[in-house]
Amino acid sequence: MLEVLLNNEGPIRLQAEFNCARGELLALVGPSGSGKTSVLRAIAGLLKSHGLRGRVSVGNKAQDLWFDSARGIRRAPQQRRVGLVFQHYALFPHLTAIENVALAAHPPREAAYFDALFERVGLVGLQQRRPSQLSGGQQQRVALARALAREPQVLLLDEPFSAVDAPTRQTLYHELAALRQSVAIPMVLVTHDLNEARRLADRVVILDAGESLQVGPPARVFASPRNARVAELVGLQNHFQGQFFSSSPADAPGLGRLVWHAPEQGGAHISLSVTDKKRLDDGAAVSWVVAGELLDLSAQPPVQPANSLACTLREVLPLGEISLCTLVPTQLPSQRITLNLSTAALRQLGAVPGGVLYLHIPPEAVHIMPVRHN
Amino acid sequence: MDWQAARVSLLLAVCTAALLLPLGVWLARWLATTPWRGRPGVEALLMLPLLLPPTVVGFYLLVTLGQGSAIGAWLARSINLRLVFSFEGLLLASVLVNLPFMVQPLQRAFAAIPGSLREAAWVCGLSPWRAFWKIELPLAWPGLVAGVALTMAHTLGEFGVVLMVGGSIAGETKTLSIAIYDRVQAFDMAAAHVMALALVGCSLAALAFVFAADKARPLQER
Repeated sequence: MLEVLLNNEGPIRLQAEFNCARGELLALVGPSGSGKTSVLRAIAGLLKSHGLRGRVSVGNKAQDLWFDSARGIRRAPQQRRVGLVFQHYALFPHLTAIENVALAAHPPREAAYFDALFERVGLVGLQQRRPSQLSGGQQQRVALARALAREPQVLLLDEPFSAVDAPTRQTLYHELAALRQSVAIPMVLVTHDLNEARRLADRVVILDAGESLQVGPPARVFASPRNARVAELVGLQNHFQGQFFSSSPADAPGLGRLVWHAPEQGGAHISLSVTDKKRLDDGAAVSWVVAGELLDLSAQPPVQPANSLACTLREVLPLGEISLCTLVPTQLPSQRITLNLSTAALRQLGAVPGGVLYLHIPPEAVHIMPVRHN
Repeated sequence: MDWQAARVSLLLAVCTAALLLPLGVWLARWLATTPWRGRPGVEALLMLPLLLPPTVVGFYLLVTLGQGSAIGAWLARSINLRLVFSFEGLLLASVLVNLPFMVQPLQRAFAAIPGSLREAAWVCGLSPWRAFWKIELPLAWPGLVAGVALTMAHTLGEFGVVLMVGGSIAGETKTLSIAIYDRVQAFDMAAAHVMALALVGCSLAALAFVFAADKARPLQER
């Protein structure tokens, strides 16, 4: 189990805490400059900062404690068995593929070991090539083989798919999935690509300005961001402001009320029934998101008007099978709801830009977050 | 052709390059990687021999190392070493004057190695020393070739410092460039021609070598 707790003040601010079990793939996600690579470098022992505090350990034995500022332990990169795949691979340009890989094997290994390793990463026959004679995908595999030859206790991948073309990336995704079946060590992947994280990782860590804001399975983090900043970072489009009122006798049991207002529109508002998880104070200012897949759209006014709003279809952007639709609630014309609808469904609705549609927002589709005060 | 002078010149060139190579590699690597703020000062000091007239360098060496000076007197007394008008003194002067010729190309070569390669070597478990031998030095190879070639060519052609510090003692400090000057003074143009041509050939060969090595840059193989 990799356990990481890092605190650093100064130009590279870090305040990150997470762990990663054996066989687990953890993705560090965040915009550029959010400290993802710095966290990875700190784990590998490459981050040079006198102010770095915290603890990095990969097990319970004495040699598994790599960094502990409280006890003055700071192992050199050479003393940490880390497999690190650098963003641009950092292959040694003057050495052949097999020499690159052999350099990381301690103690030195027989040729048969490397043959097996090259076969495992799909590089048979390319042992004697220089990095310049290999494609981007092949270079990435050499970098991976070199990381594995170190027989690492942790595998760290720094944006490993950013420098390859899309088809190669798909192949490499599959290979990473296959690798996870055979290597039972913690794996930490740094990526700015949310879809990549969603697709590959068991859990994600959302990083912002060096701080880990939320850790959890991708589905949960993306559907229930802990706060407005996480919602913004994971790219949730339908993100609004409002005020939450807890369950009152007038509401159905377990439901509270969300008053959706637009600051710039004075008193205009829409009131929605939402699930009351009893975590928020009555009258709290909140930000909230809606899960697009739980919304209903109809051309006719609903029989039950609760939680339904009339909207103008402002814009339709056809993207092949799906169309990107922008809806504007008639009561709050400054707000925009963006939905991905199947182009076929849109045709069946007979919706045209400028027409009116009725949007139903079930209580469970609304995720409410406290507004974060810094 | 003054073969004795040619022998002194060649010996001086080889010894200068041999002494300067380890020193130059160490200095260049340090300059290429140090975050120290005083670095430009050190760089300026190293480049100084390029700008100063050789007579100035020679003059100060004479003043510091001559037997009238404290250092010169101490050296003569304790280890019987005379650094003025001797081959040893000439060698020391040559090493100092050639510092920029060795350090400059090496520093550029070390600075061109991406930091990630150094770090990759450490993460692979290589000690800093092994990383230097296995990764950094092979990648800085063209800089090394250039440094040695330029130092040797420049030593062969050095005149002012040699004359000031070494004088013109046949078989000891009289180099080819001094011999050419002597021959011209004696109106022996034919002998001067031969030696001058030999020096032109050496310099040209050294420069061709530098450019050829630069073309085969291992770092460009990416």
